[in-house]
Amino acid sequence: MKARGADPAPPRIMVLCCPQLCGPDAGPRAARWFERVITTVTGFCPNVEVTEPGVCAFGARGPARYFGGEAVLAGQLITAVAELGVASRVGVADGMFAARLAARQAQPGSPALVIPAGETVRFLAAQPVTVLADQDLAGLLKRLGLGTLGDFAALPASDVASRFGAAGETAHRLARGLDARPLAVKRPASDLSVAREFDPPELLAEPVVFAAKALAEQLHEGLAARGLTCVRVQVRATWADGRENSRLWRHDGLLTAAGVADRVRWQLDGWRPDPGENDPGENDPGENDPGENEHADGGIAALRLAPDLLVRATGHQLALWGESVISDRVARAAMRVQAMLGHEAVLRPVPGGGRNVSEQVSHVPFGEKREPRLALGPPWPGRIMGAAPGVVYPLPREAEVTDEAGQLVTVSGRCVLSAAPARLVVEREPPRLVTGWAGPWPLSERWWDPAAARRRARFQLITDDGRAWLAVVRDGRWLIEAGYW
Amino acid sequence: MGSAPAEIRRIPARSLATSAASASFGASGLGSLGSPPPTLPVSPVSPVSPVSPALPVLPGLRDLLPRGVLACGSVLAVPEFGLLCLALAAGASAAGAWCGIAGVPEAGLLAAVGAGLDAERTLLVPDPGSAWPQVVASLLDGCELVLLRPPAAAPVLLRRRLEAVLRRSGGVLLVAGDWPGAQVRLRVITQRWTGLGDGHGRVRACCAEVTADGRGEAALTRTRWLWLPAEDGGVAVADPVDIPGTDAPLPRPAAGLRAVSAG
Repeated sequence: MKARGADPAPPRIMVLCCPQLCGPDAGPRAARWFERVITTVTGFCPNVEVTEPGVCAFGARGPARYFGGEAVLAGQLITAVAELGVASRVGVADGMFAARLAARQAQPGSPALVIPAGETVRFLAAQPVTVLADQDLAGLLKRLGLGTLGDFAALPASDVASRFGAAGETAHRLARGLDARPLAVKRPASDLSVAREFDPPELLAEPVVFAAKALAEQLHEGLAARGLTCVRVQVRATWADGRENSRLWRHDGLLTAAGVADRVRWQLDGWRPDPGENDPGENDPGENDPGENEHADGGIAALRLAPDLLVRATGHQLALWGESVISDRVARAAMRVQAMLGHEAVLRPVPGGGRNVSEQVSHVPFGEKREPRLALGPPWPGRIMGAAPGVVYPLPREAEVTDEAGQLVTVSGRCVLSAAPARLVVEREPPRLVTGWAGPWPLSERWWDPAAARRRARFQLITDDGRAWLAVVRDGRWLIEAGYW
Repeated sequence: MGSAPAEIRRIPARSLATSAASASFGASGLGSLGSPPPTLPVSPVSPVSPVSPALPVLPGLRDLLPRGVLACGSVLAVPEFGLLCLALAAGASAAGAWCGIAGVPEAGLLAAVGAGLDAERTLLVPDPGSAWPQVVASLLDGCELVLLRPPAAAPVLLRRRLEAVLRRSGGVLLVAGDWPGAQVRLRVITQRWTGLGDGHGRVRACCAEVTADGRGEAALTRTRWLWLPAEDGGVAVADPVDIPGTDAPLPRPAAGLRAVSAG
């Protein structure tokens, strides 16, 4: 119990960070590797919490005393994780925020950065304001002339609260080396956890993730009704054979229901029995083989989300994807189809840049940030001008273009055409007469990279049935990339 | 269609006169092609709301459809997927409707955006697989308009069920394929692309002859020449003087051509 008006000193926290496995789109393979890392860490300290993909944290005081010191413990942890083949870094400090910074700043030479007790405030004071998660606030502070956290921490707390609001107050507490929010002292009367049973047990991951989103919404509603948010959320899955697995995730009131569902998906990926791979460095985010989503161990029988460490809610809303609000109706429909077919089956188009018609619209799975793969701003010289094709084949179709004499039309290395095109045959369709054409428009991309270099010549053809085609010659072969009809 | 006389009685007399006059291309009263359709006794089509009885279409396509709108709960069929399907969806999307496109991995979305489709309110399901009826039913719950290319021909029971879901949800189904029983059927009869010469130029615009028929209100066949797309990417009614003539195969110059820059 803390005395009224005084903030307790934050406990010693040790943070372990695996840079190779970090990042929200690290993929299911990274999740499985990180699950192994966590199992190893659990051998040293039972109460591990996952802050974000690739980063975990736990209280350092007890284990350090047991192992004979924080530096010793850190060294043993790094060695144990290195035996799995994963490089890691450790930071120890007073409080989660400082420990995260320390882990991030640990050098490969001495991968454990231990900030002694009491030195945390000085360590934080030297950090630039850009380490704050709230980049808008950091930009504002820089413009006001406050370059380091020390400058920011020197301001009076009440002035910060009135000028910058709740977000600024939180950042100010972090800059001073305190916990972001004081814990809510009163225990809530009822248990706020939510659970769902699956009967029969679910073999696929997607329906469980879909249910997790609904459960998370329920959880948030229950917490919001009491004016609370949770610092951590515990995800516990029970398998049909009785096995239980649980993991703590950092929440801080900043996750939406979709964010919690993402973490559940990530966790289920990690708990999946692995088909056996050797290299944790290989990152394969595109992997989405539906067969791999099955749990060969009887399936998931129950899922439980429980809030851990409740704090008073300040009404701080974080728009994770910062875009126009999608109505619930559309989101429900899209997520239902995603539950049937998989996360990547429902896409939203994002027009972007690019020279090839197949690249100019990126497809982003529903629920992810809408960003084009190639930026729209640059001029992209070499793209086809004029009308946009109504049909763009994801895989170009084989074709043959012959001249009057029936010979295949070829394009030399200097872009000289052998003869004017007269007939077009697309795959196994009947031949068409070419009534108009233009080209060749050469395109040579990424000539500096032998693996990715592409040299093509593009043509537009009009045939006697009134259709127009975008044809490409590559290595002497004709391909149809798009059609205008 | 044994009940033809009963159906014609239901069409308001004014629209009958206009569609008869402009049904066959070449009639002299051609000034009416460019003018907006006559005002019919129908509820005003406002930006999309769940209770609106119809979805708007692009101005160039209004003449082809009964009452100039897409009636909610109806099915429109186009035999082959192309820009016409995307243009039919673009009008509703620009007015605020959500569009779902299922079963068409090769949809040319840049052309659709040029015609007026709003990419922020579009959902794509390129491969619905064998459970496509459930996927379409789910999409109809969220989207006002669904463009579908069924992976396989739908048996009549399945069609009836999907039509029932459609009427319940109040959406519009655009089928790129076969759908016996569709309320409106549209087809591109002729296409003439402009801009390409013999070894020079680039594809600019297409003048297309589009025909529409169907059941009930749409029973009368209407044919229009449209710019689909026009040079700016949109869809517009074609002025008869602008319609390009038929392209005859051009005489072939000698071989040994050199590259020229894109027009």
